[in-house]
Amino acid sequence: MPLETIDRGRIERLEILSPAGIADASLAAVIPAERILEMYRKMVEIRLFDERAVKLQRQGRLGTYPQILGQEATQIVPPLCLRSKDWLLPTYRGQGSYYARGMELRYSLLYWAGDDRGTRFPEENNDMMFAIPVGAHLTWAAGLAWAEKLKKQDGVALAYLGDGTTSKGDFHEALTFAGQFKLPVIYLIENNHWAISVPREKQAASPTLAQKAWGYGARGLVVDGNDCLAVYKAVSDAVAAARAGLGPTVLECETYRMGHHTTADDASRYRSASELEAWKRKDPVARLRRYLALQGLWNDADEAKLLEEAQAMIQREIEAYESFPAPNPLNMFSDNYESAPWPLIEQRRELAELLELKKAHEPVFELPPAEGRFP
Amino acid sequence: MTEMNLVQALNLGLSQAMEADPSVMILGEDVGLNGGVFRATEGLFQKFGPERVVDTPLAEIGILGASMGLAMNGMRPVCEIQFDGFLPSVLDQVVCHLGRMRNRTRGRYSLPLVLRAPHGGLIHAPEHHSEAPEAYFCHTPGIKVICPSTPQDAKGLIQAAINDPDPVVFFEPKALYRAARGPVPHEPYEVPIGKARVAREGGDLTFISWGAMVETCLAAAERLGQEGISAEVLDLRTLAPLDLEAILASAEKTGRVVIAHEAPNAGSWAAEISALIHERALLKLQAPVRRVGSWDIRMPLFRLEKYYIPDADRVVEAAKKTLSF
Ligand SMILES: Cc1ncc(C[n+]2csc(CCOP(=O)(O)OP(=O)(O)O)c2C)c(N)n1
Repeated sequence: MPLETIDRGRIERLEILSPAGIADASLAAVIPAERILEMYRKMVEIRLFDERAVKLQRQGRLGTYPQILGQEATQIVPPLCLRSKDWLLPTYRGQGSYYARGMELRYSLLYWAGDDRGTRFPEENNDMMFAIPVGAHLTWAAGLAWAEKLKKQDGVALAYLGDGTTSKGDFHEALTFAGQFKLPVIYLIENNHWAISVPREKQAASPTLAQKAWGYGARGLVVDGNDCLAVYKAVSDAVAAARAGLGPTVLECETYRMGHHTTADDASRYRSASELEAWKRKDPVARLRRYLALQGLWNDADEAKLLEEAQAMIQREIEAYESFPAPNPLNMFSDNYESAPWPLIEQRRELAELLELKKAHEPVFELPPAEGRFP
Repeated sequence: MTEMNLVQALNLGLSQAMEADPSVMILGEDVGLNGGVFRATEGLFQKFGPERVVDTPLAEIGILGASMGLAMNGMRPVCEIQFDGFLPSVLDQVVCHLGRMRNRTRGRYSLPLVLRAPHGGLIHAPEHHSEAPEAYFCHTPGIKVICPSTPQDAKGLIQAAINDPDPVVFFEPKALYRAARGPVPHEPYEVPIGKARVAREGGDLTFISWGAMVETCLAAAERLGQEGISAEVLDLRTLAPLDLEAILASAEKTGRVVIAHEAPNAGSWAAEISALIHERALLKLQAPVRRVGSWDIRMPLFRLEKYYIPDADRVVEAAKKTLSF
């Protein structure tokens, strides 16, 4: 027998809610209605926030901002499947997932305004600061999960990544460890189909990204990432498997980045309008609203009330963000080491003197602001 | 001569190099259809096609490692790492292999490739988009490191880098991509690698710098000029190998040197330049060579970058300390 099949890859795809809002009743029934309503409210809130943040950037009140329009389901739902002591590792496009965990939106604004005080997470959570170089955090997630296992705790780590990031060596090294040591970690690929201007098909020749899990001894599943109910079930199952000691899962959530890569990008340079139109029909927010309406759980009055409250909340967050006092430049010398070594003490003094000097005269020369692009 | 900015000059330089030599190819993230996030490769995909201007998967080690293979098999790859902050992941290949290949194969394989990356801050970018990592590269034997500050130099140096038989790391000061404008000759030309440029003549003190900090030094020199102090500004253009002759000539002429750059001071390339001057021109010096770099802490998010990267105020202060030594 020259050729023998040793193993055969199998990739499944999960979708519970159709774009028309019709759900597979038996699967949907396991999720409490109150939970589904919470997802919906948070998705609407983050969508409105996203819209406002882009406007703030256009008005020069915010720096480069990465939109999440279209990805509300993958942003909001997975954190709701975790306990606060589980580890959450979002990407730079993660303001929605931080929000779902309870971070105040003012801090997201502060961060994208280039202010280091913007990295403040709720004390009770194990939320991790994201890495701008993509993929770096994936190996940390393996280590965080590993420590849970070593300490005989049942915590899990959930790390997000984009479709583009599955090409980085970091992803493969993280999976090597996760599979090898059977770690309670979940890698959630937000396959939004674009890595700046490079489409998903140009990242990997494999038909799915989920199947990459298989080569490392992890489970892989393709999930309709615009279907909240499917995302909820897939993540909950992966968390349960991780807690039960069954090791890592890779979830490829198929979604779509409906906006530009960031406010510094122009997607019309590389992406067709018809592709965008096709994805608009699968919009995660509208889809869940249809479902809720069909179930008799939501009506126009509920919607109007939600919108009004959400707008007011966002307005409060923007005002809070804009009323932070200007940062003190001397504070950049804090928190570099537990106690500062001599060069920092000396340099802090030098900067203090310089700031005094600057008060005395206006600088004659500053580089003109460049119209750079910095995705 | 046409008036253009630095990124346009680079684009023209790349385009002419591709026309002249069919083995030249460009690889990187978003360099194709999108023309690069700073538009350095704009239009090249349309002109030379997807086989010569390649949008790669998001994998920096893949980009450089594959380029090394391409270079060893007859191609001349120019690879782009999208931002300075993503260069550290390719350091493994750079340090362990890129710089050594010629020597370790006893000259059989050389690596005629160019590794391009934007350099430095002051454009209000997010974290990891404003780094000045030149010292890591300059410390690696076997490679050349360039950082131009004018459009004319950018074009001539990129063409020289592509034609060079050895690996070249090419830093592009992103604050100057659009802010630096100047006349650029249309025909292809090379600015020789390893030759500095006197950006301003002076007799009392020398500023040595590269990239966007050259502009800051020129501004500082202007300010000192108003106080009757004449400062020379030396734009190194090439960081490795250094133009020792030009450095010593200026240091010996003025006797006072301030080296200004965007990287943190500790272990910076300025330390090497300072050591060279002390070793070879000590008796001509009127004061110790002084370094002005960023503080020895991580680059803060952009609201504080102007207090982190030296500005003209800081450069002037350093000059005054040197003058009053
Ligand atoms: C290591 C690294 N290389 C390049 C970049 C520049 N960059 C920022 S986002 C991006 C695309 C990321 O695509 P993907 O992983 O699909 O995530 P998405 O932004 O689509 O959510 C690139 C290339 C980066 N941040 N990190």
